Amino acid sequence: MVQILRRRSVVFVGGGLTAALAARQMMSSGIDVLVLERGGDLAGSAAATLPNQRDELRWGVRNGLVQNWANETYTLRHTAREEALPIRRMEAFLPGEGMGGAANHWNGQTWRWAEYDPVLRTRLESRYGKSAIPREMTVQDWGIGYAEMEPYHDLFERLFGIAGQAGNIDGRLVEGGNPFEAPRKKDFPQQPLEILESGAIFKAAAQSLGYKPFPLPAANSPRAYTNPDGVSLGPCQYCGHCERFICEANAKASPMVVLYPMLQKHRNFEVRLHSQVTEVIYDKHAKRVTGVRFIDLQTAQEYEQPADIVVLSGFTMTNTKLLLVSGIGRPYDPKTGKGVVGKNFCYQVMSSVPVFFRDRWINPFMASGASQMVVDEFNGDNFDHAGLGFFGGGYIYSNVTNGRPISSRLLPAGTPRWGSAWKQANADWYAHAFNVAVHGSNYPHRENYLDLDPGYQDAYGLPLLRMTFNFHDNDYRMSEYVTNKAAGIARAMGATTVGTPQPRRGDFDARQYQTTHTTGGTIMGADPATSVVSPRLQHWDAQNLFVVGASVYPHNAGYNPTGPLAALALRLGDDLVRYAKQPRML
Amino acid sequence: MPIDEIQRPARRAFLRGASSAVVAVPALFGATAAPTAAHAQGAAATAAKDPSHPFAYLSLGPQEAACIEALVNVMCPADSLTPSGVDCGLHIFIDRQLAGAWGRGDRLYRQGPWHAGKPQQGYQSPLTPEQHFKSGVAKLRQETQERTGKAVEQLEPGQLDALLQDVAAGRMDDPRFSLAAWFNDAFYPLFVQACFADPAYGGNRDKVFWRAVGYPGLPALHGRNVVQFRGRPVPAAANPRSIEDLS
Repeated sequence: MVQILRRRSVVFVGGGLTAALAARQMMSSGIDVLVLERGGDLAGSAAATLPNQRDELRWGVRNGLVQNWANETYTLRHTAREEALPIRRMEAFLPGEGMGGAANHWNGQTWRWAEYDPVLRTRLESRYGKSAIPREMTVQDWGIGYAEMEPYHDLFERLFGIAGQAGNIDGRLVEGGNPFEAPRKKDFPQQPLEILESGAIFKAAAQSLGYKPFPLPAANSPRAYTNPDGVSLGPCQYCGHCERFICEANAKASPMVVLYPMLQKHRNFEVRLHSQVTEVIYDKHAKRVTGVRFIDLQTAQEYEQPADIVVLSGFTMTNTKLLLVSGIGRPYDPKTGKGVVGKNFCYQVMSSVPVFFRDRWINPFMASGASQMVVDEFNGDNFDHAGLGFFGGGYIYSNVTNGRPISSRLLPAGTPRWGSAWKQANADWYAHAFNVAVHGSNYPHRENYLDLDPGYQDAYGLPLLRMTFNFHDNDYRMSEYVTNKAAGIARAMGATTVGTPQPRRGDFDARQYQTTHTTGGTIMGADPATSVVSPRLQHWDAQNLFVVGASVYPHNAGYNPTGPLAALALRLGDDLVRYAKQPRML
Repeated sequence: MPIDEIQRPARRAFLRGASSAVVAVPALFGATAAPTAAHAQGAAATAAKDPSHPFAYLSLGPQEAACIEALVNVMCPADSLTPSGVDCGLHIFIDRQLAGAWGRGDRLYRQGPWHAGKPQQGYQSPLTPEQHFKSGVAKLRQETQERTGKAVEQLEPGQLDALLQDVAAGRMDDPRFSLAAWFNDAFYPLFVQACFADPAYGGNRDKVFWRAVGYPGLPALHGRNVVQFRGRPVPAAANPRSIEDLS
């Protein structure tokens, strides 16, 4: 028997970063907020304390903090002509489970996207002409401008103590920062992390080529820091256990450190853990949602939770799946290009060039998840694409985030895979090598989308989400071009050996981790015919339903997604206060 | 028949091979080990003689164990960097992973229907990882016997190394079972994990692999080191510490 609970004002589905940021904005209004999170509270657990936090096999290889694929995974096919099969153990991206979500186990790399990203189609059309954009590249404007997000970027950076070097303050370029940075009103709240040996090598090489290297903006606090809410971060220990791990030093700004403990002091805030939402209850005629259905995983009791407002604040895949299983919005059809839910699903296009230095100590184990040096010359539309045959790009960086020895050992090409020579090569190069990497964009392609799998089900009897996804010519050309630029920097380093550049080639591979940055599926926009949610993240077909997260991005840039996602979540919190007072299309 | 009278053909054959003094004898058996019936009780019994490393197999049977011990000893020969694979506990790591949650398919989506799929769709076998691993061991043993007339563990190190090169390159694949896929996607990752995971899991005994490459392990509080030893060797790397050391 489904039990019906008492009505709540605002119910968030998914207790990660976005729910917590939006809720923070609502606390002073007194609006009652309930967050339903499928996982538990990991504070004080083995994942979050020494010595077991440092267990690479458990967290880094077996992915102990990640969604349990036995319960729910995704099916994959490369084209709509193939049969999708379930990814039985997903490695390509790592959604989180537990209060705080994937932002507990992130690296901390925190970007504002380019000023033109929210108006990407307009930008490309005005620069290259309408006909230059291939028909299958379904980039579209977001319906907002960077300027209205700027104050929320700033707030997020202060809440999370982001450490960086400003490159553009109010249009004035600042030496040492990113000359392509979207203009910021204020400097970062913290000065950058220490530059590693790899970063120093990268910086010198990039400068010798006329590029403008700068430190990657980091949520890994260089020093003790207290944010505007009075929450403190400890100093980063450069332990090399950020991504896939919880920071035991409370130095990596994460929802479970910065946000949830603070929110839980408010009487109008509640997190209900181990609560698996299975449906958003939708009144199609009234064009409203009335609440959600969920299973208490501790008791197996099923509940209906009535709500005035529902916010989908899960991972990209979860937000999309819940709309599809709840029958809210028209599913995207790649044949006609009509429909919206599941559209513009994007991932990331990573690549690298390994460099080896016989006489320099890289010491990869002393690093944070974001203590890298970067150049942004070949990202997005920061360079002229005329005649190149592709759009997009990526940042190029000295990619040392850790030296965890199972996964992070670089060996020169031709090294035997076992035996004494293999061991000797590990001994020779482990502390003396790193990757010059490209964090590349993935612009939408009309054949890449998400829908419900017709056969496979999750542990709760719901269809699995189906990914129809592959890389396309635009991605391969972009990767070839930018990886070549990375190789140019690598060759200017005076390395003993520069490995063979490895641009992204081949089909999307569920066995290879690139990033956890899947985007799209519930995209935002100004036109209900081509977007799922409005520029204020309000569902076009249910005004009391909001969606927040990277699932609302119409494309994936060559930047990490956390910055704009956080800014949108903070803005949503303010919008929800307004909406609760006076419900309407915002 | 009492269990200690049960014949263990592969193990005995292995020990006979060992007596010719050219086979890589797992150091588990000790330098003075003679190929007598007393040793035919298998690795569990002999390993238990080293009080600092009590050990019994939990997943692998004696023939499987002999095969895996031979593999890890060839892939990790005793040299100036580390002792032999068995002396590093690599076989223990593998056995424990197979017997534990990973081997049983923990966190693995295991609902049908089942289809072979493309490589990029990843693992698609209805077998648990432990069962899948063992089916590969059986296939390797059978193919080796057919090709060489010997058990895996009877091959000389050079012969076994060459055979594994063939396996990894797909030269011993047949249409029904790809030994290359088994070796590269199932065995090899476990081998590497056995070398470099925390010693708490049974491999990387005494942190030998961490010491060999210069990984300092725990507690990894490098807030000062990152400045003091930027571009220089880090003293802690010479004496790595593990989870157990900090427990």
